[in-house]
Amino acid sequence: MRIKTIAIAAALLLGTGLPTIVQAQSPKTIAGGFDVGPGGFPKNFNPLVATGGFTWLSTYFEPLVIWNAGLTELEGDLARNYTMSSDQLTYTFNLVKESWHDGKPFTSKDVKFTIELAKNKVSGSLLAARLGDVASVETPDDSTVIVKLSKPNGSFLSILSQVLILPEHALAGMPPESLATSTWWSTSPVGTGPFKFKKYVTDQYVELAADDDYRGGKPKVDVLINRYFENPAAAVAALRAGEIQFTYVEPDDAASFKTDASFKLIEGGSYVVNYIGLNQKVDLFKDLRVRQAIMYAIDRNAIIESLYGGAAKPANCGYVAPQLVPEGLEAYAYDPAKAKARLTEAGWDKINGDKPITLLTYYGSPQAANVMAAIQSMLAQVGINVVPRVVDTPTYNGTVYKEGTPDWNAFPMVYAGLQNGPNPAGINPGLNKSQLPPAGFNTMRIEFDDLSAAFDKALGETDASKLDAAWQGVCKVMNKDLPWATLWVANRYGVVSNKLKDFVWTPAPGGGPYAAHPETWDIQ
Amino acid sequence: MLSFIARRCATGLLMLVALSLLIFVLLRMAPGDPIDAYINPSVPMSASDLETLRDRLGLDQPLPLQYIGWLRAALSGDFGYSIQRSGVQVLPLVMERIGPTALLMGMGLAIAIIVGIAAGIYSAVRRNAWPDIAMSVLSFIGISSPAFLTALLGLYFFSVLLRWAPSGGMQTAGAPFSISDVLAHLILPACLLSIGHAALIMRYMRASLLEVLNQDYVRTARAKGVREFWVIIKHATRNALLPVITLIGSTVGIAIGGAIFLESVFNWPGMGLLLVNAVGTRDYPVIMGATLVIGVCVILVNILTDVAYAFVDPRIQVA
Repeated sequence: MRIKTIAIAAALLLGTGLPTIVQAQSPKTIAGGFDVGPGGFPKNFNPLVATGGFTWLSTYFEPLVIWNAGLTELEGDLARNYTMSSDQLTYTFNLVKESWHDGKPFTSKDVKFTIELAKNKVSGSLLAARLGDVASVETPDDSTVIVKLSKPNGSFLSILSQVLILPEHALAGMPPESLATSTWWSTSPVGTGPFKFKKYVTDQYVELAADDDYRGGKPKVDVLINRYFENPAAAVAALRAGEIQFTYVEPDDAASFKTDASFKLIEGGSYVVNYIGLNQKVDLFKDLRVRQAIMYAIDRNAIIESLYGGAAKPANCGYVAPQLVPEGLEAYAYDPAKAKARLTEAGWDKINGDKPITLLTYYGSPQAANVMAAIQSMLAQVGINVVPRVVDTPTYNGTVYKEGTPDWNAFPMVYAGLQNGPNPAGINPGLNKSQLPPAGFNTMRIEFDDLSAAFDKALGETDASKLDAAWQGVCKVMNKDLPWATLWVANRYGVVSNKLKDFVWTPAPGGGPYAAHPETWDIQ
Repeated sequence: MLSFIARRCATGLLMLVALSLLIFVLLRMAPGDPIDAYINPSVPMSASDLETLRDRLGLDQPLPLQYIGWLRAALSGDFGYSIQRSGVQVLPLVMERIGPTALLMGMGLAIAIIVGIAAGIYSAVRRNAWPDIAMSVLSFIGISSPAFLTALLGLYFFSVLLRWAPSGGMQTAGAPFSISDVLAHLILPACLLSIGHAALIMRYMRASLLEVLNQDYVRTARAKGVREFWVIIKHATRNALLPVITLIGSTVGIAIGGAIFLESVFNWPGMGLLLVNAVGTRDYPVIMGATLVIGVCVILVNILTDVAYAFVDPRIQVA
């Protein structure tokens, strides 16, 4: 009797949960691992301090202008259209008619507020330096914004695409210095995107609800969920188990989805150029012949074929996009004999011989380990003894960004990557001598005059028709001087359940943002 | 008994201060700080930008000052704010993680204790029979399987292939809270957590019971005509449990280690996941707070184990 009573009580207890689960499944819901992988920035809600995660952030916040899904050109988002003065100093944006998710109207004052906030270092904004050329933001009326620059900046619109517009009425009351630590971002953010923030379950997931009044039309699904995964394998398991419908996957996992009819594999260029950085504070790498020897010693095509399954493009400069690569570049085809000859000319036996040289990296995936092993083996064949050292990201950054005079021998060579698109100026901070630390990101301390001049010329080019040629100039100098041993631009992968319709994802660096139009995503 | 507990608590407090100092020093010796963890290396940032952020977080102060400042605040119950989570205080953050971890560990250990003791008794009673040999083989596999391996294999078989359990999280994303939902998410990681512990407890129980079964008082009980079932349960098992209780107490620390792996793989929002996140992002205040709370738990469990020991065996004096 007692057992029967307990059984009935247990059934009732469990039963109370079941209807709620069934009810929760009734709204049309898309769940995904939107912050899995290199483009993600899990648990960050503040777009001012984001170095990634824009795919997700841009489902509820929006920028003025945005890259199209192919990352080939910028288009208007909160700006209906925009014009630029012939001297490239004045940008005029005509805004769309839109409301914030709390019903307040979106106006030019919000844009002015956001740009000024993003430019203000006190807010913790990581965009402050990049917006340094903004001289003023004017708002002649509620739907027009005029931004004036102190000097032409060919990257300005691209930078602006990562400035997600924030509501003045919600944030103006907070001191800028307290914004970075405000809980507003993860509890009650208000945006203009197709989905509005509903809740964040700590470290588990973020839930958004459709904004029925969105200017692009009512979203086709009711709920959008971003689940967090500490382990990429767990994201793949959740995808295969049908709990989520999308995630980024590592190349090794991607292969297993190619033949699975239940999923669609999305493949695209990463816009991150991988290279071996050669520290110019280390005498060994000041000799061009040594740098050339490294290029000739590495069989990049073999690595691409065997370790990337052909899904990468060899890079002979910082770019692989056809419009940025000029004719007549040295291809540095695999030639160990030539590599040995260059080393002999440089007196390698005397200046280093077989002494080990650290090859530092933050890439910790199994694929990266294989790439490092292949590079180590190929360089060893010509007499360069590198020792790969894989560390976590904070350790890597702590080593190369170290204040004062770092220990150069801690990172004589690095295996790293840097954004080379869609804005080609992305690699300037890593190569231009004006970007030496502490002012900039040039951690390999590259001070090549002709390369810096090429960058400065391209950055200052005001004639749009001459821009590609200017960036080709940068490519040409990189190919000749070899500030890095450039390797390749690899593809990245996302996997989508076949249940999703009209879903758009691009492996954009930092997650974009790009025009993914989440309001059109649907699920069967 | 009370003075014993008081003395153990005082020693525990000193150990906690020593632990905090050790963790503080080790963290500062590790390369990279919270700002370094914040940077995506493929996104260019200037070192001066990073310096501005570092200054704002007080990471530019001398180390002894940072530690004294932290200790003074911690003694008054203020463990500071998480560096990586906007505006979130450490103490509430850590405290809200104790529940999920306790649930996972409690369920895992409960399964391990029940299965381990039962299997140990059965194995000892059927010594050298095929069930004993089979369970011995299984227990060795269980003991020698690392948590990350069992976690990933379990995830693959039970979530992906068989779809018997959800693949992660503590509740269905987007669904309202329900006990059945939490239990459905709990059962797989708890079972996987219990594997190693159940195997260890089974081995200890078996060895201990075999030793006790040869004692004179067991023989006497049998000679008096007590049924074999009660001889084993009442006379032998109670005495054989002593080393097993010690083992269970000492495995709580190990269980925390296992929980860290399991929580990462199953995205279970407990202390383990919090700590892994915090270490990966060099979130010093959270690492310090979480480590101290884990330290408190381990010390408390050890004190409770000593007390339980005294209750089970009246011969033991803890005055």
